[in-house]
Amino acid sequence: METAKSLEFRGIGKSFPGVRALDNVSFKAEGGKVLALLGENGAGKSTLLKIMSGDQRADEGEILLNGVPVVFNDPQSAIAAGISVIYQERQLIPSMSVMENLFAGALPKTKSGLLDKRKLYKDAKELIEKFGLAIDPREQVGRLNVAYQQMVEIMKACHRDSDIIAFDEPTAPLTDSEIRILFDLIRKLKADGKAVIYVSHRMAEIFQVTDEIVVLKDGRFVTALKTAETNEAELIKAMVGRDIGDTYANLSRNTKFGEVVLEVRNLKTQFIHDVSFQVRKGEIVGLAGLVGAGRTEVARALFGADQVTGGEIVLEGKPVVFKTPREAIDKGIALCPEDRKEQGLVMGRSIKDNVAMPVVNELCRGIFIIKEEMAKLAEKSVAKYSIKTPTIEKLAVELSGGNQQKVILGRWTSEKMETKVLILDEPTKGIDVGTKAEIYQTVCDLAKQGIAVIFISSELTEVINLSDRIIVMHNGHITGVVSREEATEEKVLTLAMLE
Amino acid sequence: MKKENSSGRSVRSIAGNKIFQLVALFVVLVIIFTVWSALKGGQFFKITTLRNILTSLVVSSFLTIGAGCLMISGNIDLSQAAVGAFGSMVLASAVNAWHLPWFVALIIALLLCAAFGAFNALLVTKYRFPAFIGTLAMASIAKGLMYLFSSIGKGGQASNVAFSNKVLSFIGLGYVGPIPFSIIIMAVFFIAYGILMSKTRFGMKVTFIGGNPEAARLAGINSKAITYILFINCSILGGVAGIFNACRLGQGALTALTTNQFTGLTAAVLGGISFGGGVGGMAGAFIGLLILNTFQIGMNVVGVNPFWVNVFSGVILLVALALDFIAKYAPARRIARKSGEGRI
Repeated sequence: METAKSLEFRGIGKSFPGVRALDNVSFKAEGGKVLALLGENGAGKSTLLKIMSGDQRADEGEILLNGVPVVFNDPQSAIAAGISVIYQERQLIPSMSVMENLFAGALPKTKSGLLDKRKLYKDAKELIEKFGLAIDPREQVGRLNVAYQQMVEIMKACHRDSDIIAFDEPTAPLTDSEIRILFDLIRKLKADGKAVIYVSHRMAEIFQVTDEIVVLKDGRFVTALKTAETNEAELIKAMVGRDIGDTYANLSRNTKFGEVVLEVRNLKTQFIHDVSFQVRKGEIVGLAGLVGAGRTEVARALFGADQVTGGEIVLEGKPVVFKTPREAIDKGIALCPEDRKEQGLVMGRSIKDNVAMPVVNELCRGIFIIKEEMAKLAEKSVAKYSIKTPTIEKLAVELSGGNQQKVILGRWTSEKMETKVLILDEPTKGIDVGTKAEIYQTVCDLAKQGIAVIFISSELTEVINLSDRIIVMHNGHITGVVSREEATEEKVLTLAMLE
Repeated sequence: MKKENSSGRSVRSIAGNKIFQLVALFVVLVIIFTVWSALKGGQFFKITTLRNILTSLVVSSFLTIGAGCLMISGNIDLSQAAVGAFGSMVLASAVNAWHLPWFVALIIALLLCAAFGAFNALLVTKYRFPAFIGTLAMASIAKGLMYLFSSIGKGGQASNVAFSNKVLSFIGLGYVGPIPFSIIIMAVFFIAYGILMSKTRFGMKVTFIGGNPEAARLAGINSKAITYILFINCSILGGVAGIFNACRLGQGALTALTTNQFTGLTAAVLGGISFGGGVGGMAGAFIGLLILNTFQIGMNVVGVNPFWVNVFSGVILLVALALDFIAKYAPARRIARKSGEGRI
């Protein structure tokens, strides 16, 4: 087709239970240009990519490919139509060669029906040479470095004759020189007239390689700008500018902080470096940063879930070492993990069982469980956090996200627990606005009871307005600490993106 | 998937239903065989049939209990029957070739079986072997060692090892009043393990680990220790099965438990213990076993070619697995897609 290549979104909307992921998003990516898709975590970038790749379907709106409305029921049909989305996770088969990966799905055959290795090699070599890369077609993909694996994926997309190529945070695993190779490739794609969509929150890159920028926020289209006519400050403002409702103003907060409960000195794991901070009794300390900044890893290290390779954790003045979560729990540290379904709850068990999990041993006479005590514990949690359920026998899988989170909160704050430090990792992820407000108040109430809270969130507004102090992380390091009074989203985001 | 508004009570009644369904299936099976054998001019309800079913249950029941407990925790052991056969040969050799007292022989056999279990657990927990592969290798090792033990003092010739000992033959064939001793032990084991799995903190933790190992770990449950216990328990019960088998036959047989290789697993799945873990209990496992054995002996009574019995047993396992997968994975996939977390 000789007409200009383009992909246009018109009024795209998509909802998940309790969340409006995309709302009336419209913009157009044109051939021969690189369009950046910019937004905070949860702005809707990934959902949009999934819709264009056919992985998910939009609830509303339409997609126009080269001016023609298209509907994709699955990734295959999107690929066939000429759309390739290159995700962070490689979709290559590591045990097979580069050439086999490049032509997987359309391997050449000889007349007798066997694999035509000679033609495969020749075609692969041609393709690789066209891109000017030094890759041996016979090399096993798993032995290439990450950047070259990504190149293979890009070549695969080009060979499939994709007109539209989208990259999801492509530079995250790459080194500087590898990034340069990638950018050369992107410029080549652009010169070939392809429409490139580039998702990233690294500002510097966006100015290097893109032509236009579309900013999303909370699933809505905010603005479209020409890269040459804007600057970093304007973009950050567009990314964060939103009304902070009365939710935070109406919170009844704790104002009395006690002594330092938890002190972390130069903590190191495989993922974090030299992390030091203190948390006082009754204080809510926020951990902010982009996805992959190392916030969850700090939580896991404190909880004995990841191996600590250096530094010190001091709890109530005494140095502690946790080899397992059990040891951390016994000393009064609790973690509501990032992924409720995979790490928090046993989905096929009841509220009662899930609340009792860490304290099963205390609910026993000898080795036998006292059913009544277990029930009592769960009833109290249901009442305390007003968990919406007819009975404590209801399975976790049948609860809404907000109620699931309350079950986990109930688990860690039951009368059988002596939680001193409560770590909340993305506690409001996928939870509707009303329940969010409830959870904020619960967190403040727990702080009033003297619990030290570490609050991790990717939602800037939330972490800034709830926390008494905000620790900002980037790449496994702490890049700054700001108090609530001086915190602005611009300030925190700038620290979070510090290169 | 159940709707948001279904109450806890209905959930419980569904769990109850599973047992009810199994009992119903068992009754249907008995009726089919009664009618079938009557049509062929025979009789299904005979004392001998009943006794056959019960005694055939004994050996496989220990396998089922061990495999079932392990499967509730989400793990699997393919070496159980081979380890049991190994144990039976150790017992026979210890009595026959080394002239050890019966109780010493029993203890040695069970300890060696336990070692296999511990090694299985080591492979799975420390070296993160998939249980499927690690235990399959161990099965081969156990089998080889069984042959070695059987050849002790015979110039390297492997063959069945006969032994005679009053106590051991009582274990295999003795009666307490009108009831076979082995049946009593079986009943005791089923009841004890039933209580262990449903009423104690240990059983509860096993179910948590099976339901979601990561969540259990992050809630402070020592899944490693429990995994060790369950693998060792599974192997020891394999050994117990082997010992009952040997005591009944009066010899350590080279072919011991070969027909029972996957009996424990099949019965457990039939009885509602999910392959992925977290679901099921001993009552279901017992009825699953009862169904499996009734089926096999029923086919025998009505005179179906034993080769076909094997084929049908396989079909039963397939059906049970299919039902398990439908129940377990279909809703999970639906949930994942609904919440938008399913990535390609």
